[in-house]
Amino acid sequence: MGMFDIFEVSGSGVAVHRQWMDAISDNISNINTVRRTSEAAFQARYIEAVPTAATPGNPGGVAVAGVRLGSAEGIEVSDPDNPLADAQGMVRRPAIDLGEQMTDLLMAQRGYQANLAVVQRATEAYQAALQLGRSS
Amino acid sequence: MDTGLVMPALVVALDGLSRRQAAIANNVANINTPGYLAQNVDFESALASAVDMQPDAGTSQLGGVISTATSAEPAGLDGNNVNLDQQTLLGTETNLRFQMALRAVEGRFTVMRDVLRGS
Repeated sequence: MGMFDIFEVSGSGVAVHRQWMDAISDNISNINTVRRTSEAAFQARYIEAVPTAATPGNPGGVAVAGVRLGSAEGIEVSDPDNPLADAQGMVRRPAIDLGEQMTDLLMAQRGYQANLAVVQRATEAYQAALQLGRSS
Repeated sequence: MDTGLVMPALVVALDGLSRRQAAIANNVANINTPGYLAQNVDFESALASAVDMQPDAGTSQLGGVISTATSAEPAGLDGNNVNLDQQTLLGTETNLRFQMALRAVEGRFTVMRDVLRGS
């Protein structure tokens, strides 16, 4: 076990949750991104997390294994006034559920905070250990 | 109990507690990872019986008492069974236990220092 392993482990947790929040904010900001029906809809990004196996040289943690994309088909809606509308007056909107994105955002935010709380606790323990043998 | 066993037992306790802290960090890092099962570090009861059985054991003999096990708690819909409340409480407790063990080590050092000073 390395000296400040917990920072590495919790750091990976913070990084994964940060990426998740980034993906969610991108999804939400594109929730009204309209495309032509001849194009693919804006695809929501979903982060896939996998645990990193703890080995003697690696304290473990979590990593982003990949990004899964949402539906490319999206939803075709009638919007004849839109300059992107086709001959039938249809445009393609992304199939993003705002409720789902918001609940994911809460989970990502709480996960981020929980990892930071662990960092704080570890700092206290390390600091106490560094004081060993220092008094008088 | 022989006082010679105090330091080895404290060292093993510190090692076990810091490994538990690392396991908790891992569990919290994977709080939203589908299919992840929480890991628990245990050593207290094994250390207590090892101390009773071998009164003159060293750190190396006692080191084997630390074990890691996968939590058997029921998993949620995504196959993850990390319980954040439990991990937070356990983390706080582990932190305080760690600091208590450090105080005890410090106490041993103080005794040695006093003996060396002759006061």
